[in-house]
Amino acid sequence: MVEKWAYSESIESSDIVNLEKKYGHFINGSFVSPKSKKYFDTVSPSTEELLSKVSFGGKQDVDNAVSSAKEGFKVWKKIKPVERSKYLFKIARLIQERSREFAVLESMDGGKPIREARDVDLPQVAANFFYFAGWADKLDLSWSNSKFKPYGVAGQIIPWNFPLLMLAWKVAPALATGNSVVLKPAETTSLTALMFAEICSEAALPEGVFNLVTGNGETGSYLVNHKDVDKIAFTGSTGVGKQIQASLAGTGKGLTLELGGKAANIVYEDASIDQAVEGVVNGIFFNQGHVCCAGSRLLVQESIHDKFIEKLERRMQQLRVGNPLDKNTDIGAINSKQQLEKITELVESGVNDGGSIFQTECELPANGFWFKPTLFTNVQPAHRVTREEIFGPVLTTITFRTPDEAVEIANNTEYGLSAGIWSEKGSKVLWTADRLDAGVIWSNTFNKFDPSSPFGGYKESGFGREGGRHGLLSYLKEDR
Amino acid sequence: MLSWSDVTELMNVCSVDETGLKERVSSLATRSIKKDSKLQALNMIVSMCDLTTLEGQDTDGKISQMVAKAISPDPNDSSVPSVAAVCVYPGLVEVAKKAVSQSNVLVASVSSYFPSGQAPLESKIHDTKYAISNGADEIDIVINRKAFLEGDYKKVFDEISVLKEVCGEVHLKTILEVGELGSYDKIRKASVIAMSAGSDFIKTSTGKISEGASREACCIMAKAALDYRKLTGSIVGIKVAGGIKDAKDAIRYLVLIKEEIGEDWLDPKYFRFGASSLLNDVLRQIKKLKTGAYQDSYYFPRG
Amino acid sequence: MSEVRKTYKMYVGNSFVRSESGRTYSIELSSEIIELPQASRKDVRDAVSQAKKGYESWSSLSPYNRAQILYRLSEMIEGRKASYIELLKESGIKNNEAKKDIDEAIEILIWYAGITDKWEQLSGNLNPVAGSYFNISHQEPLGVIFIFPRDTVSLKSLLLSLLPPLSVGCSSISLSKTAGALAVMLAEDLNNSDLPLGVWNILTGSYSNIIEDISKHVEIKGIGVNMDFDNKDFTIIQSNASESVKRTFRMNERLNLLSLHPFLETKTVWHPKGK
Repeated sequence: MVEKWAYSESIESSDIVNLEKKYGHFINGSFVSPKSKKYFDTVSPSTEELLSKVSFGGKQDVDNAVSSAKEGFKVWKKIKPVERSKYLFKIARLIQERSREFAVLESMDGGKPIREARDVDLPQVAANFFYFAGWADKLDLSWSNSKFKPYGVAGQIIPWNFPLLMLAWKVAPALATGNSVVLKPAETTSLTALMFAEICSEAALPEGVFNLVTGNGETGSYLVNHKDVDKIAFTGSTGVGKQIQASLAGTGKGLTLELGGKAANIVYEDASIDQAVEGVVNGIFFNQGHVCCAGSRLLVQESIHDKFIEKLERRMQQLRVGNPLDKNTDIGAINSKQQLEKITELVESGVNDGGSIFQTECELPANGFWFKPTLFTNVQPAHRVTREEIFGPVLTTITFRTPDEAVEIANNTEYGLSAGIWSEKGSKVLWTADRLDAGVIWSNTFNKFDPSSPFGGYKESGFGREGGRHGLLSYLKEDR
Repeated sequence: MLSWSDVTELMNVCSVDETGLKERVSSLATRSIKKDSKLQALNMIVSMCDLTTLEGQDTDGKISQMVAKAISPDPNDSSVPSVAAVCVYPGLVEVAKKAVSQSNVLVASVSSYFPSGQAPLESKIHDTKYAISNGADEIDIVINRKAFLEGDYKKVFDEISVLKEVCGEVHLKTILEVGELGSYDKIRKASVIAMSAGSDFIKTSTGKISEGASREACCIMAKAALDYRKLTGSIVGIKVAGGIKDAKDAIRYLVLIKEEIGEDWLDPKYFRFGASSLLNDVLRQIKKLKTGAYQDSYYFPRG
Repeated sequence: MSEVRKTYKMYVGNSFVRSESGRTYSIELSSEIIELPQASRKDVRDAVSQAKKGYESWSSLSPYNRAQILYRLSEMIEGRKASYIELLKESGIKNNEAKKDIDEAIEILIWYAGITDKWEQLSGNLNPVAGSYFNISHQEPLGVIFIFPRDTVSLKSLLLSLLPPLSVGCSSISLSKTAGALAVMLAEDLNNSDLPLGVWNILTGSYSNIIEDISKHVEIKGIGVNMDFDNKDFTIIQSNASESVKRTFRMNERLNLLSLHPFLETKTVWHPKGK
């Protein structure tokens, strides 16, 4: 496909990032070598080149981190709440100052386009720290005359799709409410968390209040099962979430889970079609579809199906797939080989089941993990591609005829994280929202986040909320 | 051209979500156009300019100077193309036509009681015929906003159809005056009416009110033109005018057109900028790319 | 060598101005006597027209933006702590008390900076009406507010009166007499904090000649007085205010939601639900 006017490369320089050859854990205010004596590689998913080596968190490492957090909690508990505010405001400021560096590192480590890291991830990260800083000194206001206290040591496990943003969603409210933290970032994306630990030192956050142990699922399970952890917050797959829930049974530990999704994006015939197409594309292709609340099922009213699909395919063809550090890239790399295999397998199953696919015509780089934006039509609710979370840039289409049918199809899933509704009729939007079993509903928009807006799922998408005054309850328990 | 009943059906699907529209336009503005693609864009912009003067103080002398600049925007750099057209009041068409005679630059004339359009149809027909008889290659008319805002859409449609008949082979650009229409839904509606009535181009603004072109308005008009092509096979061109101050902004319009409706429209036959001060900034940017240094405006001839 | 003496001016429309009347009054500090402008009726009218512009821009910023600006103000004040303490000492306050006053003032500012993007979650709500309706009550800022803070030299007290209307998006005009120099010092930090033009205006002097104008000015939407404000004068304000149904109230000077409430109007919107 020869373009009349092709965009030249506009690469964001990675010079601003200074990578160490290897990293330790961050425990009790400083970086320490792993007691496990093991390191593992972290690579750039867009080039497969080695970025650095990261410490493996074994049982002893987790143990040390939790002990440090226990001591840190004692210190954190004693200081005035307004002092907690000040520390968090300071951290927010420092993040803003080094935003560009963080954004480039996030893009290199995780594969997401620099434009998204710069324009979406980083501003939201700073906003979360600012927002929760302002709750620390007024928790008594948040739920009327309820009396609260923090849990103590919060063990937090976060995924690889929005590494620094998921860190902010977890760490900011936990610290604001007076808890101390042991964070375990995803195996493939530890680097921005490590840089965040540097920020904590710069802000002179008291030692032990924030601790970081890197590693894999094994490391996570040591954290989950540690007797001195008082609360676990997990964002990740539903499979692992269920395991964690089972492990915690009878322990009295606090738990919040933010798991998978298979969100329905409902497009009624009276939607503003061009904006709906844009919203549907944003809903599934933003961040390569590595989004738990992605609108991965397009539910389109049959009367506009053909017109909508034609516009959607045209729009998908404009998506630019390639080097995440190119400022014009829309779709970056798939986060890992493992994830790529999973997506590929599911898409193949969809084709074998009889589905038709349309894919963006584009050249994929020779190295790295890549998948073309994909649209399925002629698929049935029973097919795996319609039921299972793919977590990639793959959209499946189902038609409906009436609003009741739309609601029924949308709710026909064990997930319940989010949903989208597209219609210019306000009463129908509200009627539909009332009936959808989803924790976050976007009408005539999608993938909108704000620290003040509670986020979380129904059913097997998890429980508990992050953000807003509802999100505080994830980290506070009643003081009886 | 479409029948009136087809038009009424099209007008029923004109709803636009403002927030979604603004987000899309903002997102496209983050495209980073550098190096070769930037130079190519700048040259395209020059070739798409309708160099315009529509002032009470226009004289034959002023027009001649402007045409000279239109033909040769940067006399020191012959690789910079001529502009597409000059745009003048009907009374200046004759002198403009004489001045462009050794070039490919077209002469566009405003008419139909530009800019307000507050006059009977007979006057608008007379205005148009006069400009054409003096040699205008293109005619820029304004829609009847009085009728539009009163809800008399058929009157708006009929007037444009009549004026297109008067134009015959001469290209008709219909100015919607997006700054007066009130909402994006209305801009889409006006676009649909103007295209269906036979316009060869739809244009955003007269440049005579404070609210001129915007990328949001251009996006809506472009989407309407894309859908119109799907329906009828005809390509209607888009012209943006009024308030496009610099090259950076103009490049954003090109990005918008390319990504929202496609490269077929990236041609002076189907996309124009109504420009006066824009041209100089584009020339400066071209020079900077070629020499590495910013130029002052006195390096470029007055037009 | 003689030092360059500071000229104290009022702060209106993000500029430092003298009274158009040219009149001044004096404050006796321990090391010198200073002159401050005595606000006139025209000064009040000018301040209102600036505050109107300020209200438009301030209320259209996102709450997050307003929070950041107020937080920046706390950074400015923190940086000049020593100067504030010095002024308080010059006004006769003991060193320990002065330090405590400034520290507490900063904490109060941080409290209000952080409530800016949260109060609406606590004061607005869905109403469970009978019938198939989505019914929501939410609050909007009143507009231009005139504040009479306590006439004591205390930054804590000044901020307790001035921050509530600002946190919710109102613009304000305040008048201070004994605390005039302190208010002007605060104005200098306001000026460095990215506050849009006209959001916060500071007048100095006594109110006896201007109380009529203030209480009758239709574009001032609310008047807040401190708890100790003279009741006879408050009565004058209240009876003049009745001419335009202007809101008047005594400020509670506490860190709670009720401190914000007088500066808000509640709007309730109904929308049917149905396919």
